[in-house]
Amino acid sequence: MATAIGSTEEYNSEINVTPMVDVMLVLLIIFMVVTPLLQQGVSVNLPRDTISPDADADIAKDTSVIIAIPDNNNFYIGKEQYPLNVLGEKIRDKMKDKSPDKRIVYIKSGVEVDYGRVVEAIDAIRKQDIDKIGLIADKRKTGETAPAN
Amino acid sequence: MAMSGGSSSGGATPNINVTPLIDVLLVLLIIFMVITPSKPSRFEAKVPAEPKPEDQTIAKPNPLTLVVAINNADKKITLNNEAAGDVTNTADLTNRLLAIFKDREASGAFREGTNEVEKTLFIKSPRSVKYGEVVKVIDAVKQAGAQPIGLQIDDLTD
Repeated sequence: MATAIGSTEEYNSEINVTPMVDVMLVLLIIFMVVTPLLQQGVSVNLPRDTISPDADADIAKDTSVIIAIPDNNNFYIGKEQYPLNVLGEKIRDKMKDKSPDKRIVYIKSGVEVDYGRVVEAIDAIRKQDIDKIGLIADKRKTGETAPAN
Repeated sequence: MAMSGGSSSGGATPNINVTPLIDVLLVLLIIFMVITPSKPSRFEAKVPAEPKPEDQTIAKPNPLTLVVAINNADKKITLNNEAAGDVTNTADLTNRLLAIFKDREASGAFREGTNEVEKTLFIKSPRSVKYGEVVKVIDAVKQAGAQPIGLQIDDLTD
């Protein structure tokens, strides 16, 4: 055969890229599969570019209770939608085996939501004897220059 | 060259040009790596316990507690009834609080029974204010170091 590689005395100058492509494809597929799994709950237009919230790794845990309020009419816990009047019951169920220092409910609310709706959710939370609330916000990335104010 | 293509000789070259394929794959890979969510963060807020009907003893108000209120009509912020900027520019509020906390540190206005400066602060906002604006105010008071931050829940106006 005229194209039989390596059989002639000349060196083959091409890199064999097949293993590299294999590895890339596998990595790509891993990221494609993992990315939707990392997104928890419903998507919400969070307050952006805030300066001082504390990072809290517990938010991403499966056991944490996050109430999402994407707009004025809906309350979600995780991915499930609940009417306001059963919110308290669901929170009690989910919080019942937590130690006292872990009794915090996170609120993930959109910026366009009326504060009154958030207050209604908070009211449902405190009826379960929980007095700590985490308001989830997007922290401004460090390194970006802050606008002068 | 022995491999000089399939044009002159009879058989076609069996090599695929994979370079564009790798380019596209690398770009896709980078895109997916970048959109992987970053670490979440939150503001911690406290809410007062629900008032119980049998427990109507009047608690002594703490003179050191600060109240930040938002006015719905003109979006102005007041700190203990004194004007302190508005929602779009919260720097004034932050500076005032920093001055107050510094003053308290100098004069020894401590939380009862401890030697930490009293930095308790409550936020009161009408119900129709947008949540994003309330968070901006929380961000501003947090920058000044207020802790714990409380949200008033009862008796809010529309």
